[in-house]
Amino acid sequence: MESRVVNKGQISELLDKLAKDYNLIAPIKEETMTLFRRVSGAQDVLLDYNNSDISPKGCFLPQNEKTFSYMYTGDTLEINKPEGVQKTVLFGARPCDIKAILTFDPVFEGVKFGDEYYSNKRKSTVIIGLSCSKVLSTCFCYAMGGGPCDGTGSDLLLTEIGDKYYVEVNTEKGKALVDAYSQIFSSQGAEQLAKDKEELAKKLSGEFVRKVDLTGVKEVLDGNFELPYWDGDNAKKCIGCGTCTYVCPTCHCFDIFDYPTGDFTGDRLRCWDSCMFPEYTLEAGGHNPRPTRKERIRNRFMHKIKYHLDRYNMVGCVGCGRCVNKCPVNIDITKIINDLKEVAQNV
Amino acid sequence: MMDVIQQLREQAKKLLEEKKVDLVIGFGQGTELARTTPVFIDSPEGVSKLTWGPFCANNLAKYLTDYKNAPGNIAVVVKGCDSRSINRLLDDNQISRDKVVIIGVPCSGQLEWQKVSAEIKPGASLKEVVDNGDSVSVKTDAGDYKFDKKDYLLHRCLVCENPNPVVSDLTIGKEQPVKNYEDRFAEVQALEQMSTEEKNAYWDKQFSRCLRCYACRNVCSVCTCQTCVFDQMLPMWVSKRTNLSENTAFHLTRAFHVAGRCVDCGECDRVCPMDIPLRKLNQKIHKDLGDLFESPTPGTKPGLVSPLGEFSPGDPEEFM
Amino acid sequence: MSNPTALTPYPATITKIDVEASDTKTFTVVFDDPEIMENFGNQPGQVCMLSAFGEGESTISITSSPTRGKFLEFCVRRVGRLTSVLHQMEVGQKIGVRGPYGNGFPYETMKGKDLFFVGGGSALAPIRSLIDYALSEQYRSDYGKVEILYGARSMDDILFKSDLAERWPKIHNTGIYTTIDREEEGWKGHVGFVPSYVEEVAPSPENKIAIVAGPPIMIKFTLPVFAKLGFKDDQIITTLEMRMKCCLGKCGRCNIGSKFICVDGPVFSLAQLKQMPQEY
Ligand SMILES: Cc1cc2nc3c(=O)[nH]c(=O)nc-3n(C[C@H](O)[C@H](O)[C@H](O)COP(=O)(O)OP(=O)(O)OC[C@H]3O[C@@H](n4cnc5c(N)ncnc54)[C@H](O)[C@@H]3O)c2cc1C
Ligand code: SF4
Ligand code: SF4
Ligand code: SF4
Ligand code: SF4
Ligand code: SF4
Ligand code: FES
Repeated sequence: MESRVVNKGQISELLDKLAKDYNLIAPIKEETMTLFRRVSGAQDVLLDYNNSDISPKGCFLPQNEKTFSYMYTGDTLEINKPEGVQKTVLFGARPCDIKAILTFDPVFEGVKFGDEYYSNKRKSTVIIGLSCSKVLSTCFCYAMGGGPCDGTGSDLLLTEIGDKYYVEVNTEKGKALVDAYSQIFSSQGAEQLAKDKEELAKKLSGEFVRKVDLTGVKEVLDGNFELPYWDGDNAKKCIGCGTCTYVCPTCHCFDIFDYPTGDFTGDRLRCWDSCMFPEYTLEAGGHNPRPTRKERIRNRFMHKIKYHLDRYNMVGCVGCGRCVNKCPVNIDITKIINDLKEVAQNV
Repeated sequence: MMDVIQQLREQAKKLLEEKKVDLVIGFGQGTELARTTPVFIDSPEGVSKLTWGPFCANNLAKYLTDYKNAPGNIAVVVKGCDSRSINRLLDDNQISRDKVVIIGVPCSGQLEWQKVSAEIKPGASLKEVVDNGDSVSVKTDAGDYKFDKKDYLLHRCLVCENPNPVVSDLTIGKEQPVKNYEDRFAEVQALEQMSTEEKNAYWDKQFSRCLRCYACRNVCSVCTCQTCVFDQMLPMWVSKRTNLSENTAFHLTRAFHVAGRCVDCGECDRVCPMDIPLRKLNQKIHKDLGDLFESPTPGTKPGLVSPLGEFSPGDPEEFM
Repeated sequence: MSNPTALTPYPATITKIDVEASDTKTFTVVFDDPEIMENFGNQPGQVCMLSAFGEGESTISITSSPTRGKFLEFCVRRVGRLTSVLHQMEVGQKIGVRGPYGNGFPYETMKGKDLFFVGGGSALAPIRSLIDYALSEQYRSDYGKVEILYGARSMDDILFKSDLAERWPKIHNTGIYTTIDREEEGWKGHVGFVPSYVEEVAPSPENKIAIVAGPPIMIKFTLPVFAKLGFKDDQIITTLEMRMKCCLGKCGRCNIGSKFICVDGPVFSLAQLKQMPQEY
């Protein structure tokens, strides 16, 4: 694996260039929020941020996506798919959010059916990750196989060290980008920075305060769908909003519907949806296989820590802590995991 | 604060032991030091879960309608603002008065947990909380902290109208002084000063961030429709698409649907994951209702008639 | 066949509409592009997503067997938005079709066996594809006796009336048993619910597969009857319904435990079902 160095003073130059040559998506501040948005240059980019409020998953699965537009008169039908996608750089994504994209891959690029909307974006996007410089009290990526300086899934990973960024080149895509801007990416001093990064990673890994350990949890869920645990407080206090799933970087569920734009024309859209909404599984005729919050809560957490594992051999949670932070009633996946461990002792 | 917690537990225990209620809904320690979570206690042994302090932002009256048709009675812990919800629910015939035991706790303000958490050493555990009037001292195993209320209180608490519950069966804790806030509508007034274009730009920016997660609607204690129009499939009034026009349709419909019933508990504002200042919308309506109809904040008294739910020949009718 | 765009339907034209019952019609549909029709490759028990533009999509079983020719038949019950719009359509109008989806029936492993079909109400539609497959000239000799026990609420609700009364009984080594829930003027056949009729007909489990489809309540009471008759769990096959949007295993909503009904189902043996959470 190759590595490079970027002087902090040159990061603006890099961002400006990227914004010119690519569709650049980067963290920005909007009032109190940290969000990923398209930026026109370095001036908009927020380099010093903790985990963003919303993950950058929208780069690959936008909340609203047109799959095609139609012109339909009854007897004639025309279907037009959207034009090709732009070359994109996703800059500044945190390691957990990049790992989350890896959990999307088998869903959208599965063996049976691909998804060209996803794949086209995935192919034409270079992911430049940014190691965390701080661990939040809600973070637990370490317990989900990641870490604050983990470059898995990124094309380049930047780590801030002193007045420099240490750059790990993880893929051919990343290499091409580094080569294209060779005046910014130098090789000088990379060796020392590699050691400094190791140090930083070690230091940060000691800063996690949430003790989360998945061992044995899936096993208890495998054999026990009906646990009295699911009848407990979580089902009572959940208000059935979509917050936890919309802010979750690994939630991929969507709805499909038509949006007429005229008498004969319209768009077919796919938009984020949430398994916490009652209508999600409601069938015509009124039958609902997950009629109460109990079944819906169980589904969400089972999906994260069992179903996704069963299907794709990957945990469906990357430990970003967003749902922990944003749930209005403090339903906390780390507590659920710990509770289930306790349940496991007694079944 | 400790004695309030002690008394809460004792009273809850008594209610459960004497079978006066089957369930106590209260606050329990959350998964962050500065956070609580709703707890549902159905046995006397469970009361040790109950806690109280400046991190009890949730309006638990929200849950009462879930138990509307359940057998047995329910006790619920409410702050001043939450107690207004109870009056509203009673007036809307959403719950029957003999079904609930209202445990009122006078409140001296709730802190924004995220702000407090950002200051405290991660992983610290809480030892004691002391209210000093203008500030709150938080003692932890990793040191002591002090938070000035003016910087850390939830917005709604900065202009609290009813620190003491307006309806309750038993009250726990010291009565809090009621203040008269001249600037109660300062934020709304600032918005009113804007030009139409500025106002549009302001709200467009807010609404376009909305994810339509519906946390604001779902947390609302006076949103009690069985099927909300926003969830209805036949006909489908708004789709799941998020764009400015559909988001605006949602927000205006929501604001007007709770107009005259919104008790200003500020929960929608608190829970929004996108920090959309929903309370400003509701407050504008409160202000106008006050200015036009001399109508008090809904829920402040039992049996208050909503000016938007009633017609009287003396109503101004400039728009007709 | 592989569909690179997966979410984009192919234009197709309605060539024939049969009124089955007051709320049910069968649509014969042909793709506008003959090549797509030629290579569609649908197997018995698979489903398609039908588009009525402006209304969205619905999951509908392909009720025709591929052995019957280069067309697709969909038997649609009017229950909501999209199905109502379909019901207003006429021959010559266009819809969108994508698929085929789902695992379909394990018709290969059923070879050499007798088949006992049980259908309730509109659920004759999904199993009809397999009935016609097993009764086709091409494959008739691969299967033993084919029996069909079908129950409908009333005479009017009986679907595929000519199949039941004429086409299927004429084919060698078949048995057709039709029942309606309540006595009705003009009805000479059996009266009573499906589970008790199955008990009456009492198929022997020997070298036989039972294929059971119907409303949940019918399934619930029919399965114990088969168990009593000595059928093993892997001799009983059924098809499930969950709300679906993508049919590609991506939109998430059709899961029962770790299985997505749209790609891992909708056809399951009772043995498989017993391994899955009871959440459907
Ligand atoms: C595997 C499978 C096979 C099916 N085969 C047939 C068939 O052969 N004939 C037939 O008439 N019906 C069939 N259905 C049921 C059919 O999909 C629904 O009745 C139909 O989607 C209702 O759509 P609607 O717009 O009219 O109803 P609405 O109530 O307006 O539903 C709105 C949307 O919800 C979804 N939806 C609602 N109910 C269901 C449901 N039960 N299953 C899946 N999605 C649903 C659809 O996406 C629909 O567009 C099948 C369902 C499944 C899952
Ligand atoms: S965010 Fe919390 S309250 Fe909302 S649906 Fe998720 S778990 Fe329930
Ligand atoms: S489940 Fe929660 S912590 Fe896990 S990835 Fe999703 S939002 Fe992050
Ligand atoms: S099923 Fe629920 S938890 Fe799982 S990805 Fe979908 S919305 Fe998220
Ligand atoms: S608004 Fe008043 S009663 Fe409500 S939490 Fe704030 S201080 Fe307490
Ligand atoms: S809580 Fe916020 S993001 Fe969610 S629907 Fe309400 S305003 Fe929109
Ligand atoms: S219908 Fe979308 S996952 Fe099955």
